[in-house]
Amino acid sequence: MTTHQEKPLNAKTRSARRLRVQLTVIFLTAATLASAQTPGKAPTLTIAPVPVTTTPRAVATMVNLDFRVPPGYHINSNTPKSEFLIPTALKMDLPTDIVLGKIEYPVGEDRAFPFSPDEKLSVYSGDFTIAVAVHPLHSVVPGKYEMRGVLRYQACDNAACYPPKNLPVSFEVKVVKEPPAHHANPAQSPHAH
Amino acid sequence: MKRSPLSLIVVAFVVALMLYFGYHQARHPGAASARLTNFSVAPDFSLEVLGGNTMRLSDLRGKAVMLNFWATWCGPCKIEMPWFVDLQKQYGSQGLQIVGVAMDDASKEDIAKFAKDMGVNYPILIGKEAVGEQYGGVNALPETFLIGRDGKIVDRIIGLEGKAEIEESIKRALNTQPASSRASAAEKTSLQQ
Repeated sequence: MTTHQEKPLNAKTRSARRLRVQLTVIFLTAATLASAQTPGKAPTLTIAPVPVTTTPRAVATMVNLDFRVPPGYHINSNTPKSEFLIPTALKMDLPTDIVLGKIEYPVGEDRAFPFSPDEKLSVYSGDFTIAVAVHPLHSVVPGKYEMRGVLRYQACDNAACYPPKNLPVSFEVKVVKEPPAHHANPAQSPHAH
Repeated sequence: MKRSPLSLIVVAFVVALMLYFGYHQARHPGAASARLTNFSVAPDFSLEVLGGNTMRLSDLRGKAVMLNFWATWCGPCKIEMPWFVDLQKQYGSQGLQIVGVAMDDASKEDIAKFAKDMGVNYPILIGKEAVGEQYGGVNALPETFLIGRDGKIVDRIIGLEGKAEIEESIKRALNTQPASSRASAAEKTSLQQ
């Protein structure tokens, strides 16, 4: 009996809850679209959380950094096509005894814009990844280390450009002891007779 | 599964909203381009002219001034500059003075090289952040202020707009009267009474 009375109430509650969720979705959609391009407001890049990277000493390990350019904007690639354009560049400041290896930038997308119809620009838009090689030396004490740096970029949309900005970048590297060197030559094995 | 009509309405609304924004953005690639009008007196400043001298904005009182904030790293600014060269030639004799303000970290030599490459025929001033602040921050480039002969701001254009629109604003600035001639006109009227 009680169960029968509760059923319509549950249905109502479910319906109200669904409506609330839908309204939230509408609000977020509208807010995202409205904030995507606010006249005169410089866009801010975001970086996805970087999982802790475990690396043995004396080994170079690549760490991927995932960035996102807000919709409607682009930034110059690391190799823009004009000397006057500001390249996107990552600068890392690593702890002593952890050496920064190669920084791998993605290839820019060649795109023409309303302000540059005849001259294609090399840009990043949407999501892009920069890979950084970290190389802890033999002397590093095993443990967790924080790597800090900044991504310098300069964004534009289809009609305007914004002053260069620096996005703080940080990630953790867990340095472990290097695996023991094993002897691959069976001739030197004590079991060999 | 039965869907309530309310859910369908909500979904349709979201889709319509997204289509509206998508269409709006596609039609106006320069969505960040905004036109604001401010009828207050243009803040006075004194800045170094590329080449050595100093220019004070109030020295140009009586002329229609087009004050263009730009930077060497700004693609849309590069599109406008040849238009400005033409407009200075066309309207200079009628009292138009275009003034470029470089909001750049680049060296004076680089700014001079850029301006020379663009064939700029109007003075380029070395901008300062404080002057940008006087003009509302100048967060997006290009940003252009049209100032009437009376020293009042006639129009403010953020981002790249068409040459025809800029020319219209120039004509409006040229059609204003210097403050002194307005005062003498008022004096004449009062004397006649």
